[in-house]
This record gives sequence, structure tokens and C-alpha cells, in this order.
Amino acid sequence: MFEIIDRVKPGLQKLIAALRETYPYASVLAVADDSRSWSISSGGINISASGRGGGTGYVVRVFDGTGCAEYSFNEFSEERIPAVRETLARRLAEQGEALEGFAPLPTPVPADEPAVLKKESAGLVHPRELGDEAVVKKLTALRQKALGMDKRILDAQAAVSYRSCRKLFLSENRDLDQTLMWTTASVVAMASRGQEIKIAYHPFSVLGGAELLDEMDAGVEGVVHDALELLESRPIVPGEYECVCDPEVTGMIVHEAFGHGVEMDMFVKDRAQAREFIGRYVASPLVTMHDGSAVDEAATMFFDDEGTLAGDTVIIDKGVLRTGICDALSAARLGVAPTGNGRRESYERKAYTRMTNTYFQGGDSSRSEMIASVKDGFLLEAPSSGMEDPKNWGIQCMVTTAREIRDGKLTGKLFSPIVLTGYVPDLLKSVTMMSKAPELCGSGFCGKGYKEWVKVSDGGPCMKARIRLG
Amino acid sequence: MIERIRSALERCGISLWRINERLDETTELFFVKKRLDTRRTKDVRKYEVTVFRDVETGEGGGPARGFTSVPILPSMDDRQLDEELKGAYYAAQFAANPYYDLADPVQAPLVEEAGELAQAPLAQSAGKMARALFAPDTRADAFVNSAELFVWRVRRHILSSEGTDVSFVNSGVDGEFVVQCREPEDVEIHNQFEYTALDGAALTARVAEALDFVRDRARARRILKSGKYDLVLSGNAVAEVLSYYHQRSSASAVYAKYSTWQQGEDVQGETGGERLSLTLRAFHPYSVEGIPTMDALPLLESGKLLTWHGPNRFCRYLGIRPTGNYQKIVCSNGAVPFAELKKAPCLWAVTFSDFQMDAMSGHFGGEIRLAYLIEEDGTVTPVTGGSVNGSILEAQKNLTFSAERYVTARYDGPYGVRLRDVSVAGE
Repeated sequence: MFEIIDRVKPGLQKLIAALRETYPYASVLAVADDSRSWSISSGGINISASGRGGGTGYVVRVFDGTGCAEYSFNEFSEERIPAVRETLARRLAEQGEALEGFAPLPTPVPADEPAVLKKESAGLVHPRELGDEAVVKKLTALRQKALGMDKRILDAQAAVSYRSCRKLFLSENRDLDQTLMWTTASVVAMASRGQEIKIAYHPFSVLGGAELLDEMDAGVEGVVHDALELLESRPIVPGEYECVCDPEVTGMIVHEAFGHGVEMDMFVKDRAQAREFIGRYVASPLVTMHDGSAVDEAATMFFDDEGTLAGDTVIIDKGVLRTGICDALSAARLGVAPTGNGRRESYERKAYTRMTNTYFQGGDSSRSEMIASVKDGFLLEAPSSGMEDPKNWGIQCMVTTAREIRDGKLTGKLFSPIVLTGYVPDLLKSVTMMSKAPELCGSGFCGKGYKEWVKVSDGGPCMKARIRLG
Repeated sequence: MIERIRSALERCGISLWRINERLDETTELFFVKKRLDTRRTKDVRKYEVTVFRDVETGEGGGPARGFTSVPILPSMDDRQLDEELKGAYYAAQFAANPYYDLADPVQAPLVEEAGELAQAPLAQSAGKMARALFAPDTRADAFVNSAELFVWRVRRHILSSEGTDVSFVNSGVDGEFVVQCREPEDVEIHNQFEYTALDGAALTARVAEALDFVRDRARARRILKSGKYDLVLSGNAVAEVLSYYHQRSSASAVYAKYSTWQQGEDVQGETGGERLSLTLRAFHPYSVEGIPTMDALPLLESGKLLTWHGPNRFCRYLGIRPTGNYQKIVCSNGAVPFAELKKAPCLWAVTFSDFQMDAMSGHFGGEIRLAYLIEEDGTVTPVTGGSVNGSILEAQKNLTFSAERYVTARYDGPYGVRLRDVSVAGE
């Protein structure tokens, strides 16, 4: 698989050499993609190999007199090198003419330090080897199990998808080659209360393959129970409460409330408050935050889409904001080293600063100790969506479930849906307990604003903090 | 390439299929303030082949038909092409769903749009829209922080084993911009836009309005108290609320029993406000399955559901003529001037961090970035913070729409709507 990369590599190296005759910098990212998804619900069985990864193709980056420019295409052979050169030059000239009067943003040509790497991260069982029949059979059994558990279940859905890709980054001095695979899955149960449908969802993810399917059985009972419980849920009385966040909710706060705010392309645009807080306390000393590939999860990689080697960035160290995460262009503009966070939705899209695996480190408490310590508050579970606000550090996160805690005990009362709001540093400074082991999940994709979807994971331990709920 | 795919399908013994060819060309501009950050362009040609397979017994024991879709690359040789198609055909037997007829055949000449956006070079259109975007950016109190502009042209060709052979070209311009105001508080507002014509005037007006809003957000106060408010929504938030009716009436939701809506049913229920009248419009003359779309598909008339809509399979299951996919909501309601719509007391929520409608639960909400608290004594106070948490099941009982219109690629309808007694969590 992915032999296309070996076939086109010599031609791409010649393309780089040809482009360097005109431009002071040239690089190319080649992506070969293989993905497949299987799902079953009352709407039927679906199998598709389209749409998960973004496809197979190429993106060339050059620097000209104006700055950075890119050309994406998906048909390439050595014979097409003159055509690629000509098209890029013509398009840049057309844009230059149409944009007369707009000055370029000064951008130093990124460093092109020599590096050679070839690495692979594959799963134990490739989903293609397991086969469509076995996958559909497994998902069908999971769905039937969920439907059979209670007649009030309107529908149950089971789904799994994987993406395997090989990426080759070439520049004058760099030759980087990686093959990665992630697999994600979900079990969903739906129950209705009149026109209102309540949905419970259990996600799964792995940097790997079909071995993930073995974990799915464990999620069925819980998700059915949660959906039925939601039928009895009620709206919450808005207010600020002591809350215990489960690892998924902690992950959403890590990612949405804080992670987006330390994406350093936002520093370039003067869009991130975090820039003014480097070296200052932004959180409780219990909070240490990481982003990178030191853990094996769905967003783990060996180098990013701009050819920067991946690492582990400590963003908050015991409450103090140490640094942000950075793509190569923003790093050049800010005069700092890139952190391996320049990522693209696909070869067709621009690279931005993006998170990878982002999480809070564990502490020394336990979940039960946290619940026991709450006088009047909630256990928050099942995040559903969130939105960043890097400029003003406002929180908008939605969770499906808030379980009432009174005098250190869960009362059995359930509230839904819940909107979390407030000021990020206030929330993070209010953290008083963290459980021991962080748990990460990479079932979802992250957008930049409302687009540019890339695979990420996030998580942390259970976390106790004061949060405004509505 | 299409002939190569057809030959491969024949070699592999696949008799039921659809080929979707798509050729994208774009010009993309990225700005930091008025300075050019990055320029991009692309030429991407993609092929997706969907193969169908009939099996003796599907789930439930009746006749069944399965399908899978695979991307095909022009770089594939014949051996790889055959392997991909055979793999897809093999998989299709395990995706067997109750039998349905494929989309009816349609043959038609190429459909091309008229107008400047469709005809002009992409870079030229991008230049015009960039100038339109920055035209109002001349103020001392607020400015455009950054912007992204995408001008695109897509040519699609759809063929099927049933005899469909249609193609069309469409163009568009979309993007986003962030406006910022530094005093008295440093704040920003994120905005998106999407047009199917080279409508520089609309974009200029949009940016000018956003600059006003961000100036007000900078002096907005965190004084909103929790409680029930008459809530006025405007612009894209109105379209988001109305998306509930689009999603609940989809054939896929009805077939899956996620929606109980029946054609002819009064889905709005008893109401003391306006009865909803909605029409759907499609972006394209043909759906992805090659189903011709109508200029306008009436959806709701005075709160009554006129039709389900959706892709071929689910429409066939429900026994209706397949409509294809419609993405634009047209709302013909609205007679009250906006100035009257937001009469005191009410909360006019102008921008959110992410306003969302959950069509399954009927809940809508989001964190307020800017709202105007309009009080009985005539005081209008810009406020920020807090969140809206409403239910359309309740709100639809009392809807009032503005006479002023708002048009984007996905919405054509009243600029504003007033909803009674919506829960707001304050500071």
C-alpha cells in the first residue's frame, strides 16, 4: 500500500530542484490516503471509503518576492514538472495583478535544517485485513445488544472508521516519510420524549487498527443507561457550582477553553490573550498541560505537515504558562522555534497552528474523593461541543449531563443540556483536585473556527473546579 | 479517465454503478490586517465510484441492495483500478439495505451559471472581493484583524449505469473575517460569509455592521441576569433556528423514525405568533445522485409540512418522488419592522461564540458575545457573557419575524425573529 509515494518521490525531488531555480524556498508535501468507515443504524448499513482522510495529492510551498504561496494538485508525474511550474507562476502573477496595493506580511524564509526520517506506526490488526463482513457483523451485534436492553430505546447506532496515510515531506534539505493509522468508533443510544430525542454517546479511539473493536462491548450498557436517564433530565438552575469534570469534560476544557488560545498563529494576528501571560500564573499549581506526540493517541505523528519534527510541548507547568504551540510560518514571524503543530485538513488546505494530543497531567486525588468533597454541585459528563475564544478567554462548552451532588453524594438527579461559560483563567485557577491518571480520547475532529477539520485527541484526569453552568 | 473507469466496471462484472467526477479550481487569500499572509491556489480532479450490489436476502429476509463508494485516482493503473472496484463490490454485499430503485436516468447538456463570478478569472474576483471586504476598514475605533477569502469554481459530471449523464459548473465565494476593537476592552468578533454571486456590496455592508458590533462589544458590560427574556435573534442565528424544520423533515430522519413528522401535518402546533412558511432551494441543478432539483421546493405552508426531502434511497422507502438535496432555506414570513420587533423589553443577541440548533432535541443556544439589553425606560445597554438555552418546541408557539430581509448562500428570509420567554443564564 502507498507505493505511489515511492513512485513519485524521484519526480518530486526534481520538482523541488526546478522550483528552487525561481524561488528561494520550495517544499512539497505528498499524501497517500486510505480510509474506510462502517456504520449501522435504523437508517441502514453504510460502508464508505470516501471522505475521511482528505485524499491523495500534493501541496507545493514556495516563497517569492511577496511571501508564502502554495499550490495544491493531485495529478503528478515527472512529465508534469514544467506544467506545475508554469501554473504556479501564472497564478501568482494573476493574483499579484488583482491584489495590487495590498502589501505582504513580512515573513522570513523558514529555516530548512537538514533532517531525514522514515517511521511507521501501524495497528495490530488492519481493518482491511479483518474484512468488511467481520466489521459489519460486530457492529450489528453491538446494535442489537443495545436495542434489546430496553424497549424505550428508539435507535442504536454503532460505527467505526480508520484512516491510514503515508506522508512524504521534501525540501532541499529535508526528506521525511511517515505512515500512520488511527481508528475511532462509537456506540450511540437514542430515546425519545415526545418530539425531543435524547442521545447518549460513547466514543473510542486508538493509534492503531481494528483491535479497537474489542473495546466496544464495554460501552453498550452504559450508553443505553445514559440515554434512558436523560429522559428524566431537566433544565439546570443557572449559577456557579462546584463541579467534578470527568476526563472527557476535562479534555474539552483543555482543548476548547485553553488549547486554542495558545495556538501561536493567533499571536501573530494579535488574537490571543495568552501572549501577554507567558511566564505568569494562569491556573492552579495543580495544572500542567501538554500537547504533542509523547503519548500514543489518534493525533500522534512523527512530523507535521510543514516538515517540523513532532515533540512534547509543556504549555502550562504547575500553573504557569510557559509557551504556546506553533506552526513554521508563525514561528518565523515570531522569531521562535516551531513546535511541530503546523497541520492541514488535507493537501488541499492551508497549514495552521493546530493541536495534536492535548491533555492535563494527573494529580493525586481520586474521583470518589472529589465527589465526597462537594457540598452542592455537579458531576459533569459527556461533552457535546465547544468553541474557542482566544482573544477573550471566554468559555463556551456544552455537556450533555450534569449529575447532582449534595453533601458529598450523587443524588440521582440529572440535568441536561448544560452550557459552561465563564473566564478561562478563573476556571483553571479554581482547580482544587485532580485524579491520578489522565485518560485521552481522539474520537473527534477539531476545527479552526468553523472549518479545517483535523484529527485530535484530548483529555486529562477527573478535575474539580468552580464552573458557571447554564 | 471516465472511459477507463467504465471499462474497469465492465471487466469486474459490476452492472450497477455511479461515477462522480469533480474538478475544483480555487484562489485563496489570507490576510493579517490588510497585509497578505499567504496566497494559495489549487487544481484538483477527483473521481468517486459508487457500486451497487443486489443480494438474495438482506436484513429482515427481503430483497436487498447494498452500495459502497471508493475514491479513484487517475494515477492508478488498470490492475489497481480493478482491485479497488472489486473490493468495493465485495464490501457492498455486507451493506445490504432493503431494496430500492436507483435514481431515474437523466441526460442533459452542461449547465453553466451566468454572471460575473461564473465568468471572470478567479484571481480577478478574489481581488474585487478583497477590496470590498476592506472598504469599510477605515475607522479609528474598530478594524479588520484578519480575513480569509476563497473563490472557487467546481465542475461536476455525474454518470450512472441507469443512463444518467449530467454535468454542471458552479462558482462561489466564501470566507471569514475577524473584527477587533481595542478600547475600552480589547475584543473581537468572528464572522463568516458565503455568496453565490460577486456581491461586493453585501460583503462591504456585512463588514461595516460587524465593525459597529465589535465597537459595542468593547464597551459591553457583564450585567446580564439569569432569567427568561423575550429574545431577538438576527442574521445567521435566524437561519440556524429554522434549520430545525429542514432537518426534521428530511426523509432520512423520518425513515429512521428520528422524526415523526407526516406530510400534511401541522408540525408547528398551536401558536399565538406567526405561522411558518418555508421553501427549500438547492445549490446545484442536480444532486450528487444526479436527481434534478427544483428551483424551489415548498416545505412548510402556515406551519403544515408539505413534503419530505432527501436522497434517492430514503425517498423511495417513504414512497415519494426523490427530491435530491436542498441546502438553502427561504422563509417568507415577516411583516414587522425590525425597529418594532426589538421593542422593549427584550434581549437582542447579536453575536454568539457558536450558536447551535440541535434538531434532535430541539434545543438551541450559545454563549453571548454581544447582546443589547433593551429596557422599558428606553435604555439600550450592550452586554456580553451569559448564555442562551432555549427550545424550539416552546419558542415556535410565539414567533414574530422582521420585514427586513437577510440573504446568504444558505438563507433568504427575515433578518430578525423574536422568541418569547427564552432561558438565559446570566453572569
